[in-house]
Amino acid sequence: MSVATAIAERYAAARTDASLVETAIWVEQLGALAYAAAADGPLSGAQRDRAERFAGHEQEHAAAFATMLLALTVPVRVHASDADVDELMPAVRGERPRAALEVLAELEGAAIAGHQVLARRLHAVDILRTAGMVMGGAAQHLVVLRTDLGRPPTRAFENGL
Amino acid sequence: MNDGRCSAIRLTVAELGARLEAASRLRAGDCTRRGLLGAALLGGAWIAGCGSRGEPVGARRPAESVRARIVRAELAAGAPVAGSPLAAVIARQDARHAARLGAGARRARSTADLATALARKQEAVFTFVEALPQLPDPADRVALMQVLASEAEQLAALRLAAGQEPVPDAFAGFVT
Repeated sequence: MSVATAIAERYAAARTDASLVETAIWVEQLGALAYAAAADGPLSGAQRDRAERFAGHEQEHAAAFATMLLALTVPVRVHASDADVDELMPAVRGERPRAALEVLAELEGAAIAGHQVLARRLHAVDILRTAGMVMGGAAQHLVVLRTDLGRPPTRAFENGL
Repeated sequence: MNDGRCSAIRLTVAELGARLEAASRLRAGDCTRRGLLGAALLGGAWIAGCGSRGEPVGARRPAESVRARIVRAELAAGAPVAGSPLAAVIARQDARHAARLGAGARRARSTADLATALARKQEAVFTFVEALPQLPDPADRVALMQVLASEAEQLAALRLAAGQEPVPDAFAGFVT
């Protein structure tokens, strides 16, 4: 299963505001682990430095969503794991930098698509301010990844897909 | 009307703290003040009480007023960027943003230098983030998020093309 499919399925299965936010947390945690793995693995030089920074950004995103979950009076119990990375994004531990960048771009796109699911489905709409800020960060990560991959960096309407 | 769904009010202080912490990272002149002010107003509104569907009483603006602010921000952000190799692509995207957001035939006219363009696009990102919960129609919220993401991308792309750090902040804000 691709990481984009896994993320889309998690959002589709979420039935409450809390479970939607838990999904968003899991995606950001997965991103933090994946960027860290790519920095320790196939990436080098400036790409490695950026991956390390972006891993930190993903941790900040996860913390922001965790705050939203706590605001819904739900404890944070969701944890992405290295096993999730191994299953869904093995390329970040591989030998090909381009393959790692491609799967990281897929993850960021799927994260953005998920944030837009939040915009459609959340009842506690104030959470969308946080989702919007996190999505902006993901979109900027995507620009760097697309540039490194030789793809057009921006879209007029970014849906992540 | 309060429908009793605002469980979030129980942690408003934590929420406010988190938002102020995030806003404190957004340091870029007017953008800094706006970010902090927005965070403070938001926190204050949450503390003031809950309204329908988890919304603070008195925090909602009429949708038309919100849409007007969105269009103003987009038109300002859509001024052609002078001297950037991405100017043409971004101008085309911004024209599509304006049309999607309901600007009608209005388009940005004067050009902006890179620093001004970055500041206006940052301001648009903040305006769109603030507006998101104030749009009652989920389809409108999704459409705004797609433009918001595009503007955030343009910020990173313009910085990258100019040899600057493309993603200076985890939350698509400025860091000086």
